[in-house]
Amino acid sequence: MRISDRRFALYLMAPAALFLAVFVAYPLFRLVADSLFKISPIAGGPRDFVGLDNYVRAFASEAFVGAGWRTLAYTFVVVALEFALGLGMALLFTALGRKSEVWRTVFLYPLMIAPIVAGLLWKFLMIDNFGLIGTLLHQAGILQNPNQIGWLSDPGIVLFSVAVPDIWLTTSFMCLVLFAGLQNIPGDLIEAARLDGAKAPTLLFSIILPLLRPVIAVALVVRGIDAARAFDTILIQTNGGPQSASETMSLLIYRTMIRFGDPGLASAMGTIYLLAMLGVAFFAVATIWRPGKDN
Amino acid sequence: MSTAETPINDRFAAEAAASRPRHSGVVSAILATGTKSSGATAGAAPTRALPAEPVLLTPAASGTGRPRRRNHHAEGLEAGKRSTRILLWIVLAAAMVLYGFPFLYLLFTSFKTPIDTIAVPPTILPKEWTLENYANALGRNGVLASFINSVQTAVISTVLSLALAIPAAYGITRYKTPSGRVFIMAALVTRMVPPVAIGIPLASMMASAGLADTPIALSIAHTTISLPLSIWLMSSFFEAVPNDLEEAATVDGCSRLGALWRVVIPVVSGGIAVTAIFAFLASWNEFLFALLMTAIRSQTTPVVIANFQTQFGLDWGSMTALAAVYSIPVILLTLLLQRKIVAGMTLGAVKG
Repeated sequence: MRISDRRFALYLMAPAALFLAVFVAYPLFRLVADSLFKISPIAGGPRDFVGLDNYVRAFASEAFVGAGWRTLAYTFVVVALEFALGLGMALLFTALGRKSEVWRTVFLYPLMIAPIVAGLLWKFLMIDNFGLIGTLLHQAGILQNPNQIGWLSDPGIVLFSVAVPDIWLTTSFMCLVLFAGLQNIPGDLIEAARLDGAKAPTLLFSIILPLLRPVIAVALVVRGIDAARAFDTILIQTNGGPQSASETMSLLIYRTMIRFGDPGLASAMGTIYLLAMLGVAFFAVATIWRPGKDN
Repeated sequence: MSTAETPINDRFAAEAAASRPRHSGVVSAILATGTKSSGATAGAAPTRALPAEPVLLTPAASGTGRPRRRNHHAEGLEAGKRSTRILLWIVLAAAMVLYGFPFLYLLFTSFKTPIDTIAVPPTILPKEWTLENYANALGRNGVLASFINSVQTAVISTVLSLALAIPAAYGITRYKTPSGRVFIMAALVTRMVPPVAIGIPLASMMASAGLADTPIALSIAHTTISLPLSIWLMSSFFEAVPNDLEEAATVDGCSRLGALWRVVIPVVSGGIAVTAIFAFLASWNEFLFALLMTAIRSQTTPVVIANFQTQFGLDWGSMTALAAVYSIPVILLTLLLQRKIVAGMTLGAVKG
């Protein structure tokens, strides 16, 4: 007996769908369910239904609201800088043409490095006393003493310092995506604009960027989602400190769950965080990307 | 995972997007990165439609008899003037040095003596080259075991990812049913789930299944990260295979499954290699799930690297050595395979 194509397709998809249902959807369901309980961190301990109490506690806590703002600021800094640097490199590679191919490949190397290693590496560069960056800036005469800027110990700037490894790791990705987009801009269009006397800035802002918009939207959304979930690099550099100044949402939830032993509250925070991410992502896709309205 | 899996995933997603020929569909809507322009080459990788090689015009050939200075034949956004090009090469060299320096510094540091590692002020190059840090790092208890765990976990996760993603992606792209469209959208949503949100419930599920602290449990967790992206990647590779291929096979008496196995899979083998590498790296570099789900027995190297910091105070030398040993094989492997992968992708899109 021959089954229909539709059914055959369903059979092909079933194992993967089942896997995602069991190992992603079900844990998510558990997360939402847990957010309604007050849970003792000890296994087998009491578990009392408290309704939305955990949500009220989350929104009332300074740590949660602060982490929310810090996550936003962190994401904005990371994505904006990556975009600027990535676009610059993509334009550079495009301008150099085929001969730059080898370097384009080499430029991808940080993408293979574990974020935990990247975080460690930059911590080593920025750390007080034996960090190389302070020393080099001092030797160049920019800083009066190598420890003048406490990259990772000054609460005022630490959020930007911990963003550096993330930017270093994934500028290559931005560059790759934007470069791919640039290759699809018809050459004649650029020539025509040049013949009309368009200068580089006009070319960039009136032709290249508008044409790249769908590519830019995808890149920004993908990287935005990832930056908002940053964990490894921050954990290894500062563990959220000093004074929680680099504690983003992932870290706060992790610490609430593991260190402070409050799974109920952590689950409520996780649920809010997840919903916020979904909301922002859909909003971004709908407004920046505007699928279907381009043609 | 937080950022753990992202770089490499995104990088391959981008490459797949760039390699995909023009077609419509949900997958392209998700990964569409401007491949709509009609002149786009359907080939692999972000190679551009090549400008002709510079043509050397002799005075005679130029027709007018007047010698004409001919610049590099540039097209579109490529820089034309020689002086501009030289300047741009200098900018590129500076950018590459800056971008490469952090990792080189890690390498140099790993060859310093443990005391020089934290000398004030630090030097860029070791005063004296030694393998002491490597001996210390690799000789430490549990470090070699963690390498084995990392390899094991990554291999299991890669195989699992491929085994699930290949049929699913094929079902989505070849039959274009409404359920397929819903499924790939659901996979997109999975990508937004913060790992910290599902890590704990997942860990307790594994514990109740008797899998606590095993490479199997961790590789299942890693597959939740790599499966959605494997599905998208494989979908875009399958999209590039012309339908006629299986139609011919089915006419020849192959079953649908037989056509997939014997005809389509060999054609997309390059794509499978790309997907496998990305799945492997996603697991290899992952940290958060590994931190939550492993203790002594199945700890992977990223967790061990992170533990150096708390457990042994400031043992920077060993940390840099271990980080170098962990990173270099995958950097080299991916860079070496890069050309093969690109070639595989080109072959993958053969016309029937």
